Amino acid sequence: MADPGHRNAFPDPPSSPEDESSVISTRGLEAFGRKVTTTASHLMAPLGDPTGHPHYQTAMSEVSKQLRRPALQRSVFSMARTTPTDLVRSKLSSKEIQSRALSYVPDEMLKNIPEDDNAYSLFQGFQASFPEFVDDTKDGKKHRRRVSRGRKLLEETHTAPDSPHAVHKLRKEKAAMMHQLEMMSIRKNMASSEIREIDNKLANLAGMRRIILERLGGLEQEEALLEHEIIEVESRLEDAQELADEVESIALQTPTKSDDDDVESEGGDTAGFMSQSIYEKLPSVSGTPSRTKKPRNVRRKSMPIRHEHFEPGSMIRSMRAHQDSITALDFDAPFGLMVSAAMDDSVRVWDLNAGRCIGMLEGHTASVRTLQVEDNILATGSMDATIRLWDLSKAHYDPQGSQFGKDDEDDGIAFENPEDQPVDPPAGSMADCPLFTLNSHLAEITALHFRGNVLVSGSADKTIRQWDLERGRCVQTLDVMWAAAQSSALSAGDSTWRPTSHPTDPSADFVGALQVFESALACGTADGMVRLWDLRSGQVHRSLVGHTGPVTCLQFDDVHLVTASLDRSYRIWDLRNGTLSDAWAYTNPITSMMFDTRRIVCAAGEDVVKVYDKLDGRHWDCGAGITEAEEGKTPAVVERVRIRDGYMVEGRRDGMVGVWTC
Amino acid sequence: MAQLPYAIDAETPLNPAELEVLRAQYEKEGDMVGVQTKFNYAWGLVKSNTRTDQHLGLMLLSEIFRTSPERRRECLYYLALGNYKLASYAQARKYNELLLDIEPHNLQAANLQAMIDDKVAKEGLMGVAIASGVVVAAGLVGGVLFRSLGRKR
Repeated sequence: MADPGHRNAFPDPPSSPEDESSVISTRGLEAFGRKVTTTASHLMAPLGDPTGHPHYQTAMSEVSKQLRRPALQRSVFSMARTTPTDLVRSKLSSKEIQSRALSYVPDEMLKNIPEDDNAYSLFQGFQASFPEFVDDTKDGKKHRRRVSRGRKLLEETHTAPDSPHAVHKLRKEKAAMMHQLEMMSIRKNMASSEIREIDNKLANLAGMRRIILERLGGLEQEEALLEHEIIEVESRLEDAQELADEVESIALQTPTKSDDDDVESEGGDTAGFMSQSIYEKLPSVSGTPSRTKKPRNVRRKSMPIRHEHFEPGSMIRSMRAHQDSITALDFDAPFGLMVSAAMDDSVRVWDLNAGRCIGMLEGHTASVRTLQVEDNILATGSMDATIRLWDLSKAHYDPQGSQFGKDDEDDGIAFENPEDQPVDPPAGSMADCPLFTLNSHLAEITALHFRGNVLVSGSADKTIRQWDLERGRCVQTLDVMWAAAQSSALSAGDSTWRPTSHPTDPSADFVGALQVFESALACGTADGMVRLWDLRSGQVHRSLVGHTGPVTCLQFDDVHLVTASLDRSYRIWDLRNGTLSDAWAYTNPITSMMFDTRRIVCAAGEDVVKVYDKLDGRHWDCGAGITEAEEGKTPAVVERVRIRDGYMVEGRRDGMVGVWTC
Repeated sequence: MAQLPYAIDAETPLNPAELEVLRAQYEKEGDMVGVQTKFNYAWGLVKSNTRTDQHLGLMLLSEIFRTSPERRRECLYYLALGNYKLASYAQARKYNELLLDIEPHNLQAANLQAMIDDKVAKEGLMGVAIASGVVVAAGLVGGVLFRSLGRKR
């Protein structure tokens, strides 16, 4: 048999010294491994099969060829990139492969190795920071590390005679201190470089923040557009639905006719006549939806939050709303709709998101003194003694506004970029907006407020009227003078009508401010009194005395009532017990005031808005007076201010409107 | 760049308490961890004797390499050293040679190079010995099987 021959042919590397010292390259080794496996399979599988032998022999001869490489030297072997164990491990162990992948460094990074100009190496940093960590384990590493340095000195100290002993000791001490000094400087460098690192990170983060803020702005813009489209589709759907319903009901009412129609469709003339009679009805039906269309209360589905991420006191937008002093303004939500009125008798509606004028509201014959926007319903009170109500959702407005022409009237100087320039609204954009007019007052409307279906208005005719918005009728008239006389007769106290100690400003409004909540009404008048009425009885149930000048503004929530006056102060009252809980005074009369959950903002005859942060207890200024003072400009005095959710809008005497965060 | 530890330094592990301090420091800084802290921990891990620690250390070192270019040159050395400790000599050699290309006179790198060569040579021989042992064993078994078969026949 061939067996003995095979055995003899089989190389036995350890037995031959020549082979033992021989060296194989990595590739050789792999080939070797492959051959061993083939050999083994040949040995195992086709036992005694003569066809296997030639294969086996070739394989074996190749192996021996590989192993009998000309005597390779150790030095050559050391050129091998790696060892077999490493090779096996790196190819076979999944854990090793995983960790290799994790610690993989891309080649392009390996090529990009900058000159290093660090003040200290990482290892020095390691050494320097180490003593701090091991203070509790003093005998450990610290000692060992010092030993190499100290050993020589120590040995010398021991062998040295007594006289140089002290010198050595001192020298040793000095060396130790020098070392410490060195470490100290490294630590110092570490700290400073760490600070630099953090600065870089901060700059990076600030950049990221800016980018994301821009993205947020874009998203909100898109959101607003989409919402607009949704509302349009909704209204179209509503119309279509109504139409379909009516068609259906007609079809139900005339079942026989339509049957006849089907049957007699072959009989030309009669069929034509019948169907015509049906279709004649349709146009009149399709006309009805527009007539019966109810005022829809379109609520915004999304709330912009962009302004919350701005730095407090930063400007979002500034626009020239009017050519004359702003007399009233209000907006429904941050980045929503704003309505502004000015001395020039115009009322404009603005899209705060785009900074564009949507349209002009025509109707008042004199300038509007007071207005309020709530859920697309706008109420305006004018010098012409009328109150008008408008439905802003009926405005024909395309948020993209591409078809609008440029407005020649507006100078656009204050706009950040040209595309933000206001464009002239199309003439008929607000044609569908007017709802109705309330005209029972005898003199100019100076204050109004509505909530739900209740509207209250204060007029220079010294009365307050309560209106039912559903029916559009006056429900109750409250005579302020009568109430004052009544209370003075009852109590003879200080709640009588009394002229203010200040020389009364003839321009001051008799009813300066109003707010209603269900049956509660608060009203501030020119005598500086704040009266709380009960609308069910029509009586004053409490009077708040304190202001020495006409009240211009008031607002209450569930706990507090804040009133502002021309006596330069605003007062915070506690509604639960009717006492004064806080008061602040500025240098000029306050013309406008409003608060949200956190801030009280006042327009106090300055070019900035006075902000009082209730949470921080901090007073600060916000507005054009701060930013533009640096540029050497003096912006006009702020006349009106409104705030909602930290989004503040202020209107100035020159017709400019600024939007800020605070 | 004279301030590099010799490879011997990597062979002396820290005691667990020290490593714990470094780890705590590293974890305290969280996502915003500084390069030095990261390195301290990584170096402590590389010095350790357990393979998992060494792997983690190497991973951190490669992170430093990727994120802070000004430390790349140093990191090359530590990557080489870490791979050397893990016995991935091919990687170790790759990094070390890169470093030697940039700094031919770096004593620590030259020292490491010699040590890698030495290790590769030794382990290579051992590998050959093992491989040949396997071959001999296979041959013996094969021979015995053949012989017994032949006898049967």
